[in-house]
Amino acid sequence: MKTIAVIFGGRSTEHDVSIITAIASVIKPLELTKQYKVEAVYIAKDGSWYWDDKLKDIKLYQSGEIDDFMRRAPKVHLLFDNGLTLVKSSQFAGRKMYRKIDIVFPAMHGTHGEDGELMGLLEMANVPYVGCNFRVSAVAMDKVLAKKICASSDILSTPWTWFYSSQLSQPKQAMTKIADLKYPLFVKPAHLGSSIGISRVQTEAELMNALEVAAHYDDKIIVEQEVPNVIEVTLPIIGNEELIPALLERPMTKPEDFFDFDTKYMQGGKKGKGSGKAGAQGYSEIPAKLPKELYDKAEKTASAVYRALGCSGIARVDLLIDSKTGEVYFNEVNPLPGGLYAHNWRKAGISNVDLVTKLIGLAEQKWQAKQKLTTSFSTSYLKQF
Amino acid sequence: MLKSLVYMYRLRFAQTIIYMLQATEYDVKTYLGWLWRVKDFEKVSYRRSLIKTRRSSMLLLAIKLGMLVQFVVAIAWATLAIKNKEPNGIFAVDLFLSTPLVWSHLVVLPLVLARWFWVQPLNRVDVGRSKKSFEKHQAIKIAVAGSYGKTTMKEILYTVLSSDSKKVAATPANKNVAISHAQFAKQLEGDEDILIIEFGEGAPGDVAAFCRTVKPSIGIICGLAPAHLDKYKTLQAAGEDIFSLADYLGHKNIYVNGESEALKSFLKPGHQLYDGRQAAGWAIKAAKSSINGLSFEMTKAGKSLKIKSQLIGEHQIGPLALAAALADKLGLTKEQIEKGISRVESFEHRMQPRQVDGAYIIDDTYNGNIDGMLAGLKLLKSLPAKRKIYVTPGLVDQGSESPAIHQRLGKAIAGSDADLIVLMKHSVTDDIVAGIKQGKFKGELKIEKDPLNFYTNLDQFVAAGDLVLMQNDWPDNYN
Repeated sequence: MKTIAVIFGGRSTEHDVSIITAIASVIKPLELTKQYKVEAVYIAKDGSWYWDDKLKDIKLYQSGEIDDFMRRAPKVHLLFDNGLTLVKSSQFAGRKMYRKIDIVFPAMHGTHGEDGELMGLLEMANVPYVGCNFRVSAVAMDKVLAKKICASSDILSTPWTWFYSSQLSQPKQAMTKIADLKYPLFVKPAHLGSSIGISRVQTEAELMNALEVAAHYDDKIIVEQEVPNVIEVTLPIIGNEELIPALLERPMTKPEDFFDFDTKYMQGGKKGKGSGKAGAQGYSEIPAKLPKELYDKAEKTASAVYRALGCSGIARVDLLIDSKTGEVYFNEVNPLPGGLYAHNWRKAGISNVDLVTKLIGLAEQKWQAKQKLTTSFSTSYLKQF
Repeated sequence: MLKSLVYMYRLRFAQTIIYMLQATEYDVKTYLGWLWRVKDFEKVSYRRSLIKTRRSSMLLLAIKLGMLVQFVVAIAWATLAIKNKEPNGIFAVDLFLSTPLVWSHLVVLPLVLARWFWVQPLNRVDVGRSKKSFEKHQAIKIAVAGSYGKTTMKEILYTVLSSDSKKVAATPANKNVAISHAQFAKQLEGDEDILIIEFGEGAPGDVAAFCRTVKPSIGIICGLAPAHLDKYKTLQAAGEDIFSLADYLGHKNIYVNGESEALKSFLKPGHQLYDGRQAAGWAIKAAKSSINGLSFEMTKAGKSLKIKSQLIGEHQIGPLALAAALADKLGLTKEQIEKGISRVESFEHRMQPRQVDGAYIIDDTYNGNIDGMLAGLKLLKSLPAKRKIYVTPGLVDQGSESPAIHQRLGKAIAGSDADLIVLMKHSVTDDIVAGIKQGKFKGELKIEKDPLNFYTNLDQFVAAGDLVLMQNDWPDNYN
């Protein structure tokens, strides 16, 4: 039986979302397959690593007992010994517990996880892992880089500009860049997901405040022009070479109620009131009711984005459609969608258990292909010295 | 083994014992059979747990007190023996160790005594009174008998016949023994036009006795399959008991399910059949079946009925058609009949469809007989789906025929076009697997050792386009 380490939590604003993704959408279905031994690896907000079966229980986090657990539990060390091995003290006679990991399932969102940092570590360990590789993750999580790569593949984006947060100390320079864009605008931190730190501004007077909010979260800020008559859609895709798209999903919010974190995860996708539990998925249209031609165009654009960025395993592509002109714009890519977007996959005919099984298969396939590459080269360079 | 032994000395053991009694409906013989069979008491209360009722609470209190007294006596004896240096101190150990064993058996004593000296005499009085009550009642009395399908047939009849012009009463849920009939009789108001009484056979002579009490004027026999073979011994004996209803009615006004193979050898002139093609002289045509329900047409001597029902599965055509035919016979109008049939909703855990994220799950977990299982498999085969999943633990109470029945079931499963078969691991699993192999099944076969976990997490296994058929459940007392 293969051992899978599910890594979640992390030093990210999406730490809590990651816990839900890991426990509900990854660990549970993986264990139900009965094909794998699943190890829960939790990265605390301070960056410490823990590994324990108790970490699979959501009540540990909900009740706050996690703090007590962390005080007593030994921290985890990683051993790169022809793969990845988890090491922790067994608390008996100084003995250590070792667990060799066959596959890693990252279930982290946002910084220090979804942005390629964790994947880089896993590449070093040469262990198969689920999802996009570190290069793609880094690019996908940088909205600026992602838009630049898509532009080079002739994929449209709404007019946009960007600058470093540090440039805000000389606001004139930033304002000049923005001057070419038409209001309303969206101001976003370039690296964050889950709609954190995003503002919609309708006038120049609101702009500075929005820029400061974004700068609070990120060192890079992107400002985008709003798409008129917008239909926001998203498409989860899995696959390495052969892509399997889920269903085009349309979050049912008004443009003025665009997703922020609270709307997305705390109110069941419904702005203003309610206490939905299902996250954004509780309030979206699946499949999006679009004319077939437009639906196909959006699906094709999302696949083109997936390929242009070099995604593998799983990713979710967000698009913006101008319903009057029928133009489809690339918005952003999420290399590890919250909850894997399992609600969408189920409607597309792929169960939670099948989804994680397929993702594990894709991870192994990608790793095996990588093993065929030559990574060393014999030279006489050293003999010269 | 050791774990189970230790569990017997835990406080929860008393609760486990009362749960076992409750799960076996306080049937002493079945309870004792289970008690002596149990290998791990910790796993006894697996699917369900003890429900607090007056009876269970009193028994729990009695067993706890009894065990406490024995423990105290054992400790007192041991203390005295040590103090007085008497050699019979070993008896205190025996007394202590035997506590769970003694009280798990002694607990049946109040039940037996209460049954002999209280319940049975009272029941006899009630049943005697109900005999007079039924005798006096002017309503048309329809008796519904058979090893399976009774409750469904009764509910269909009740819904269809209940109309502006008829007042109908029926025995509740699956209450179908003499005392249930007596309690039903007590609640009657006297002005009912039709009474529907379910006959639940349990031992030879039961159905004949029910007939003498209820005095039915119409009889329906729904099916015959192995059940209660501990009492009947053979299927033939069970069939003979069920057909004592036909004998009572002089083989008139008796309607027999033509789709139950086992009933065929009992048919006599005068018996009228109901099945997918006919019902009490009505011809059935243009039958259509889908996940959303059934539709068909019935014609007889210039009359016609257009039937649309929410029930699923072609095997329901016969019972629906018979209900329509009887409604016509009892004077309901075409509109009343068609409206009545359309009101019939699927019954809980009996071919009950529900949707989960675009997947259809047919809950047939109250189906406990081979004919019903085969009907469900036929439905699975006939319905379109992206992926078909079949889930079952097999059947309980099948007597010596169990291996043959389960091999037959396995073959039918193999031929049902299922893509995935999930068998809940039980004593009959190997027989089902043998049948599946004989049927040359080419899909995926999974043996699930933790059924509860599978059922609880079913939503994790299914997706849009899936069709899941879950048949029968395996009660704790058969483990």
